[in-house]
Amino acid sequence: MDVSQYLEIFLDETNEHLQNLNKQILNLEQNPEDADTINEIFRAAHSLKGMAGTMGYKRMQNLTHDMENVFSEVRSGNIKVGPDMIDTLFQCLDALQEYTDNIKNSSDEGTNENEPLIKLLNEYLEGKGAGEAPAAAAPAASSGDAAPASDSKSSDSGNDKWNQIKFDDSQVKVLGEALKSGMKVYGINVTVKESCILKAARAFLVLKAIEEKGGEIVVSNPSSQDIEDEKFDFDFTLIVIAECPLDDLIKAASDVSEIEKVVGAPVDVDKIHLEDEEPAPAAAPQEEAPAASAPSAPSPAVPAASSAPAAPAAAANAAGKPAAKPGKPVVNRTIRVDIEKLDSLMNLVSELIIAKNSLVSASSGSAENNDFNEKIEYLESVTTNLHESVMKVRMVPIENTVQKFPRMIRDLNKKLGKKMELYMTGEDTELDRTVVDEIGDPLMHLLRNSADHGIESAEIRAERGKPETGSIFLDAYQEGNNVIIEVRDDGNGIDVEAVKNKAIEKGVITPEQAAAMADKDAINLLFHPGFSTAKEITDVSGRGVGLDVVKSKIEALSGEVSVKSVLGEGSTWTIRLPLTLAIIQTLMVVVGGEKYAISLGSIETIETISEKDIKFVENKEVINLRGQVLPLIRINELIEVEAKPPVDGMLTVVIVKKGDKMAGIVVDELRGQQEIVIKSLGKYIKQVKFISGATILGDGEVALILDTNALL
Amino acid sequence: MELSNDLKNLPASGDETKIVKEIFQYIVISLGDEDFGIDINYIDNILRMQQITRVPKVPAYLKGVINLRGEVIPVMSLRLKMGLSEDEIGRDTRIIILKVESEGSIGVLVDEVKEVIKLSEDQIESTTPEGGTPEARKFVSAVGKNGDQLISILDIGTINLDDI
Repeated sequence: MDVSQYLEIFLDETNEHLQNLNKQILNLEQNPEDADTINEIFRAAHSLKGMAGTMGYKRMQNLTHDMENVFSEVRSGNIKVGPDMIDTLFQCLDALQEYTDNIKNSSDEGTNENEPLIKLLNEYLEGKGAGEAPAAAAPAASSGDAAPASDSKSSDSGNDKWNQIKFDDSQVKVLGEALKSGMKVYGINVTVKESCILKAARAFLVLKAIEEKGGEIVVSNPSSQDIEDEKFDFDFTLIVIAECPLDDLIKAASDVSEIEKVVGAPVDVDKIHLEDEEPAPAAAPQEEAPAASAPSAPSPAVPAASSAPAAPAAAANAAGKPAAKPGKPVVNRTIRVDIEKLDSLMNLVSELIIAKNSLVSASSGSAENNDFNEKIEYLESVTTNLHESVMKVRMVPIENTVQKFPRMIRDLNKKLGKKMELYMTGEDTELDRTVVDEIGDPLMHLLRNSADHGIESAEIRAERGKPETGSIFLDAYQEGNNVIIEVRDDGNGIDVEAVKNKAIEKGVITPEQAAAMADKDAINLLFHPGFSTAKEITDVSGRGVGLDVVKSKIEALSGEVSVKSVLGEGSTWTIRLPLTLAIIQTLMVVVGGEKYAISLGSIETIETISEKDIKFVENKEVINLRGQVLPLIRINELIEVEAKPPVDGMLTVVIVKKGDKMAGIVVDELRGQQEIVIKSLGKYIKQVKFISGATILGDGEVALILDTNALL
Repeated sequence: MELSNDLKNLPASGDETKIVKEIFQYIVISLGDEDFGIDINYIDNILRMQQITRVPKVPAYLKGVINLRGEVIPVMSLRLKMGLSEDEIGRDTRIIILKVESEGSIGVLVDEVKEVIKLSEDQIESTTPEGGTPEARKFVSAVGKNGDQLISILDIGTINLDDI
């Protein structure tokens, strides 16, 4: 089967499942008994297996299969989760990640069999004692698969699947009447061979064979339509009314070629489930990939809670938390959209707005036509809302990016032999998709930096009277049009003298400069290219490529990064990012008759200053603003236009800042605040240093965006 | 030259339909006293004169940027590029949007757009003209004969790829 078209979906979903597994296993480490977590892990592993199998990645499938087996035992209480098992599981996840990366790069999973891991997993399985009955949860667990490796257990797998089928009232009635009239009701589970190419055709033949024997198929799972459309994994379940013995039906179905096995049993109509007993029937199929095992997805704990007779162990498991289930949120109803499509949608909306604006200006002449004006106002509000909606579509929570960090810190704990804990808040903070994609690496650098250089070893912490376990915080929140992400630790802080000495040693500054340097400036040396204070090179935090890369990456996203630190108490790294790359809030100003936009994010205040108050320092104009001496920038000279002569000798000055630096920009006129869409000037115009782009104003005119950071 | 080579490779004209295939279409524009032809395949759009936003610190022939259907497009003066005098913006001034695959769109200011002409192989001669400014000669790849009128054909590739 050609599956290449599904590759992208496969990769996306695999990554999601892996992230989820990472999260859940971390959770499991804290609460080894938590049934929800175990179920979640089980489901994710199962989906992964199904997907890998469908795509033909055998090694990946084998590994997930064994993981799933272990979980199935954990879930039924036959194996206890221990720290060594958690370690093994994490290694498995790493191995799966490796497969995924290989697939991404070469659409081949690679040749690593990961035998040691599989062996370890099987040891857990064997360790639980051979005499125990196969977990009752296993049927549901291994239901979707007919993987050869699961033969021992799949002998009874699927045996009770028909007990999980939900009936509506009319179907129950049909079944009841059939029984009364002496017919039999059977549940039959048919498993198609995994190698089978035309699953739907085989399934159709099975259905036909059963009907030929006089069987009437009352219910099927998945629905007959889905079976026809091949929307099932490798098995499907039927409820059949027939006169003939069950064996006849099984025989007829088994005679169809490429059928792995057919199992069946009479159904006890009293014990079947009505549809409304099921609290969240839609939840499970939805979270599964289409390619994954939708039919086997319904969580086993759910039917167990509704007293399915064949799942006592699962019921016992779930019994502890029966109330938790119905409250479990339905998985997000989302679709995947190529970002390029959103970009083109965005462009269309911009065009629409410009077209609307020209309508507005065309109509402004005809004031007498009220009706027309009203309609234009309506159009205006619709386009504004449309614009906002499209912008919102591009926003995604940073959650996906930061999810992997707890795992990373956990690994660093072991690697560095330190004790530390990561606390995260604000994972739901949203940023433009393009920013979220880029922010992962810088954040990882900062966290590693905190873990490696910040947090002290347990002994030193004890000496200093700090709790033995170090804390690292990752906090994200929105502040106006910016999103702030803070990485904070209660570690050693930055040793300014050590930084200075290192900088002198590296030749970044001279000893004289160092002596005169303020602490703040010294700390900023950390962002200097080729600077690392780590005494030894470790694989944790870099070889002197680190903080400068962080800085340049964040600046490339039009953001900024700063650090505050108190020696002995810890450091705080603050990343400030614009909400979106495409849209910013600006102040429109006029200089020499031309309109320019200045990002509100870099504006401190706006002042009216008398020409008489301008002083000269080293022949340059400065102003004294509340005790602070700021350079004055005559922007008209830079852009080569005549400024308007000041009225009554008063100048309008926009005070801009970049980090701690400030300056005053003299403008002719202020035109108020405006949200603008940033456009590039294109390839023909070589980068003008202080122009960061252009935007199209409401009337269709183009205005340039002043990059005040380049002026400071 | 590339253009004429293409023309030579075309099959000999036989019947009417084949002749149509061999014919190249040019838009005739005027800059000062001279007429130039631009291959119609390069042309995306012809706009009336509109407000051009000046961009500081760029060469003089780059007049600035305009808004074309929501995109910001640079506009340059062909006159200045060719060493002629500064444009005089009038009623007939047009901005021709040229599209070059790799470089995106660029607008060029012309005094007037006159007509669309069809020239066949034998009407195009790939000689570098002797008249005009040295800059102008650089951009002319061939000369077309439209009746008794001579039209210098602009090599758009040279205009665009030149270091702007």
